[in-house]
Amino acid sequence: MRMEDMSLSGLDNSKLEALAHDIYTDLVEDTCLGLSFEVHRAVKCGYFLLDETDPESMKDFEIIDQPGVDIFGQVYNQWKSKECVCPNCNRSIAASRFAPHLEKCLGMGRNSSRIANRRIASSNNMNKSESDQEDNDDVNDNDWSYGAEKKGAFSQSGAKKRKSEKNPNSPRRSKSIKHKNGDLSVTTDPFKQYSSSSGISYENLGPEELHTLLTTQCGVISEHTKKMCTRSLRCPQHTDDQRRSVRVYLLGSSASLPEPDGSTDNDSFDVVEGQALMGRLPWDGSSDISPSDSASSKASTNNSDTRKPKKKKPSHISMSSAGGASKKKKPKGPAPLTPGMYSELN
Amino acid sequence: MNKDAQMRAVINQKLIETGERERLKDLLRAKLIECGWRDQLKAHCKDVINEKGLEHVTVDDLVSEITPKGRALVPDSVKKELLQRIRAFLAQHASL
Repeated sequence: MRMEDMSLSGLDNSKLEALAHDIYTDLVEDTCLGLSFEVHRAVKCGYFLLDETDPESMKDFEIIDQPGVDIFGQVYNQWKSKECVCPNCNRSIAASRFAPHLEKCLGMGRNSSRIANRRIASSNNMNKSESDQEDNDDVNDNDWSYGAEKKGAFSQSGAKKRKSEKNPNSPRRSKSIKHKNGDLSVTTDPFKQYSSSSGISYENLGPEELHTLLTTQCGVISEHTKKMCTRSLRCPQHTDDQRRSVRVYLLGSSASLPEPDGSTDNDSFDVVEGQALMGRLPWDGSSDISPSDSASSKASTNNSDTRKPKKKKPSHISMSSAGGASKKKKPKGPAPLTPGMYSELN
Repeated sequence: MNKDAQMRAVINQKLIETGERERLKDLLRAKLIECGWRDQLKAHCKDVINEKGLEHVTVDDLVSEITPKGRALVPDSVKKELLQRIRAFLAQHASL
């Protein structure tokens, strides 16, 4: 071998060049053979023409090389004015504003849900707009009730209330009964009745209503409108003295200002004291009581002899539906004034 | 003549043994892909295949179609560089 190699150097340049060329041709043919094998394999395996489509669609996706357009032939600025249609409200919104809009429109997040709730509430209160106005007036000025035109709304809500009273399971009702603490002849609900009107004309109230009202609300009578304040017992607009004088005027001289927390603490409210307060009510003013009141007061009149203050009993809902029969179960009572009061009524 | 063929065989042996042949082949393939030779040949293959029909293409057809074209399409620069490398190899082993 070594001998052969040595003889290479003895070859002339042309022969060496021919040898190099042969090697080169060999290499090129090798590469071509490799490519042929590769293409043949691709053809037989079926993936050679995969990137091919028919000429028409090739023409569709031809790369466009013109100034001012992208490779798809579209004008670049077209994307800037893209708009999306909100699936919720069907408005079309600029794409850049779409995400914030969706957040608001679909009511995600705390704030926007509040906005949505407010919108729902305002749409519900469309017909009650005047009462809303009243609330605002309430906050802003001292003239917290403005008279005659409110009476319509008041009686309307009263009628509504009486209809809704037929449902004994209504939580509002059960609350009001509990609150009255056994005083079953009063079936009206002061919370509901006065929720939409800030002032009450006390002449229209029955004595029981009056009493309930005065144990739960401020009740001071306005000089302007002759109506009663319906705020809490701690209402800052009126003083304790004003409240006391109103109670003296309406309930008699012995009436005292009830404890403000008596309105919230229902269970601890003293039954006996409530009855005593009841007994001091002047009953002559009861001629103009409302129909539902007259029915209930009739029931109480029939049972006047047996009517007694009952001991603390937490569930009053069944009692109210049972009517007078349940009242007979009450133990003989401690209030000596009661019989006389009812005889006076009879 | 006999001596010439013998010498050729010896040189090829040397190319394979030293791994120079493999290196040259890699270099050539890279250069040819780089200059688009491969894509040109593939396009030519496509024509051939469409002409003969996908099912009836044989390796022999492809080789006989591709090799002359491939040989002709190699750019001069690539050819020159490769010949340079081969000559250098020959000179290196002739001097031994």
